[in-house]
Amino acid sequence: MKYLIVMVAVVVLAGCGSVRKVETGTNKVGERFSMQLEGPWNHVDFPGIKPGQLWTMEGITVDELIIYAGIKDGQVMHPDNAAQTKKQNVVFRRDMPTEKIVSMFESVMTRDDSVFKLLRIEPSSFAGRKGFLFEFERIRRNDNLRQLGFGYGAVDDGELFALVYVAPALTFFPRHQARVEAIAHSALISPPVGAAAPVAILPPPVRVSIGMPGQRLPAVSTAARAVAIPEPK
Amino acid sequence: MKRRQWLHMGCAVCASLAAGGLLAQGDLDYAPPERLARPDAASDEGGLWAMMDREEKNLRRSGLLLRDEQLNRYIQSLACSLAGEHCGDIRVYLVRTPQFNASMAPNGSMQIWSGLLLRVANEAQLAAVIGHEVGHYLQRHSLARLRDIRDKAALGQVLGLFGIAGLVGQVALNATAFAYQRDHEREADRIGAVLMHRAGYSVEESAKVWDGMLQEMRARDGDGATVSPLFATHPPTPERRDSLSAIAALLPGGSAGTESYLTRVSPFLDDWCEDEVKRHQFSESVALFSRLMVASPVAGLMQCYRAEAYRLRGADGDDERALSDYRLATRDGAPLAKAYRGIGLIERQRHRNSEAAQAFRRYLELSPGAPDAGLIRSYLESA
Amino acid sequence: MSLLIRRYLVVFFLFSALPAVLSPALAQSKNRAPGFSDLAKEASILVMTPDVELYSISAGGVIEPKADWTESAQRHLQASLQTRMTGSQLKVQFLPEEDGDAFAEISALHAAVAQSIALHHLSGGNLKLPTKNDQMDWSLGDAVTPIRQKHGADYALFVWFRDSYASSERKAAMFAMALLGIGISGGIQVGYASLVDLKNGQVLWFNRLLRGTGDLREQAPATETVNALLNDFPAVAAR
Ligand SMILES: [Zn+2]
Ligand SMILES: [Zn+2]
Repeated sequence: MKYLIVMVAVVVLAGCGSVRKVETGTNKVGERFSMQLEGPWNHVDFPGIKPGQLWTMEGITVDELIIYAGIKDGQVMHPDNAAQTKKQNVVFRRDMPTEKIVSMFESVMTRDDSVFKLLRIEPSSFAGRKGFLFEFERIRRNDNLRQLGFGYGAVDDGELFALVYVAPALTFFPRHQARVEAIAHSALISPPVGAAAPVAILPPPVRVSIGMPGQRLPAVSTAARAVAIPEPK
Repeated sequence: MKRRQWLHMGCAVCASLAAGGLLAQGDLDYAPPERLARPDAASDEGGLWAMMDREEKNLRRSGLLLRDEQLNRYIQSLACSLAGEHCGDIRVYLVRTPQFNASMAPNGSMQIWSGLLLRVANEAQLAAVIGHEVGHYLQRHSLARLRDIRDKAALGQVLGLFGIAGLVGQVALNATAFAYQRDHEREADRIGAVLMHRAGYSVEESAKVWDGMLQEMRARDGDGATVSPLFATHPPTPERRDSLSAIAALLPGGSAGTESYLTRVSPFLDDWCEDEVKRHQFSESVALFSRLMVASPVAGLMQCYRAEAYRLRGADGDDERALSDYRLATRDGAPLAKAYRGIGLIERQRHRNSEAAQAFRRYLELSPGAPDAGLIRSYLESA
Repeated sequence: MSLLIRRYLVVFFLFSALPAVLSPALAQSKNRAPGFSDLAKEASILVMTPDVELYSISAGGVIEPKADWTESAQRHLQASLQTRMTGSQLKVQFLPEEDGDAFAEISALHAAVAQSIALHHLSGGNLKLPTKNDQMDWSLGDAVTPIRQKHGADYALFVWFRDSYASSERKAAMFAMALLGIGISGGIQVGYASLVDLKNGQVLWFNRLLRGTGDLREQAPATETVNALLNDFPAVAAR
């Protein structure tokens, strides 16, 4: 009897998610965003991740690198998800100052009532543009896993280009941090079709590793889970 | 969803439809039961307790728990003054979550969320909420609801197999579940009022809790999340406020305890306001801070956070409203770092560079180690 | 972010059951880290407290966490693990209850990694991670160092279960719905076990249960469940 549902699910959902290898070397994401990879990654595609592109090294329940390649003025961040969690959509605006863009990412990452703590936000060159970087700690509501993450972003010709990486604070964030930093440093935005090349390409960002922040947040537990929606089995 | 529904069943300051009805002095002679003994582990009540014990263990490990000893002692003793001889069976946990909620588990563990502590204005209002929860505990409402939900869900599934008849059946079931809960809420309200009256608090204050929630709900942003998970299913109504007012008329006197309350919670207000704004339900936050500003010793702080909500909402005219609030909040030179940052951010967007620079400088003076200090410094340099 | 993904996970997990149903024998060679075959003789193993939660599904589909069931499941698992591991020729110790809080974060980390191994490795198909080259190559790294420092063991065994059971009314409803060609869930048992090398955090051996049978509420079926989960548990080297 129980296999029945399994079969139904397979028929309906086969082909709904897939993984593709991202090869070493130059990779283009979207029309005008590219980066250099020193080693391969896994690109996981499934409905609901738009407008980002999701890469992982260890699997989607462990680490996530999300790439935004040209979010347009008025575009909704992850609309599918907003509908499911009955929270308001967040929309990118071309004239958003840095603090509001970061607040937009924060809002996406706290939709499941995860705890988000901003550790640092400052200007940084990114992909040849004047951009920003931010670092954060997050406690994933679903399983109380403590994560660390960072993001780089820049707005070019009214479009947002960004990378956000998040992984467990234990083992995995330190393991892959440098690799993701290298990708961020190699990122390039090419000019929109028909536009002149940018006047000057800024040097790649230089920054110190955040490693483990000194102050450790204890794990969140069931108090909070009282209002969380459980994983259906 | 299902789990949420179930866990809240315990529960909480469920907004009821408690109608005014006729109240006589006799209804208010409430005599609490003897202390509740631990039920047999094999019974359904025992199962419920075991589950709540486990939840409580997880709660004790939670990073969201407010562990400040003084604050915990203060609220635990307030609960004790209401619960009388049941005091030893009731354990209060303060949880840092920006929504209006309190809940009582059948095993005696009570959660109070910081969003509720931010919203009540005095000891009497908090006593009204805690008294209501103690009422659910004393009357063992959770157990009744567990049995009720279980029976109805079983019946609903069977009815559900038969098309339209099933549909009608579902509607009928929902209606009975609603009526059932309404009785519990009415009873808990009545017990809460009696307990707070006996502890020397003004029962009139209890109606004000619901009045405030009503104001906030009217400000909801479209279909956004509500200020309380509880109101998603049954909104607070004017009737509830009115019936509490009616009870208050029968139980006059008592104090509000405004100053003693604010003294105890003021060290935490900044964090709780910050959490409130982070919900991204800005219109609700504006309504809340507007209410908390009225005749309050902490009006400046609340005005600063109302400005934050305006600035982040960013609708037409919000920048002007935010600027005006920030300036009023700091007019006596109050050291509200966030207000100066807010002024700077808005002035910067308007290209009023010297105003922006002045405000940023003050912000960095007051808060040199802020996470966004690097960003603000760069704004200052480019101003 | 993960919240975007989690909604699809369930679906993935259901999907991932298919190969297991069709060809259980295939799983054998996939359960070991590259290069790992046997456990060292005289080695010691620490059995972590199983992370387990049981739910009931009522006729109406209401999922209730059942703490009393969970508690008996915990007891039964502990007893079955004791029996099963004592026969393994390893020096076996069990994590003391009071250490649960200290290692809670490591347990959460294990659960996240176990889900990825189950999803991306055992399920295979189009969810495989190309960078893993079809090998079970996951490591908890130095996150496990505190366990070794405190307990001095060579290996740790992590066990994770989520199990749900349908009421008899629901079983009747399932049957009725099945006649109409609609499948509804009657409860699924998901279990993971990982053998971890405490020197470097490498997951040496991993197994998953994903099935509509099994019961942790009673001792006998719980023992069956543990034996099924640890069926292919590595042997101690012959010499
Ligand atoms: Zn209530
Ligand atoms: Zn309720």
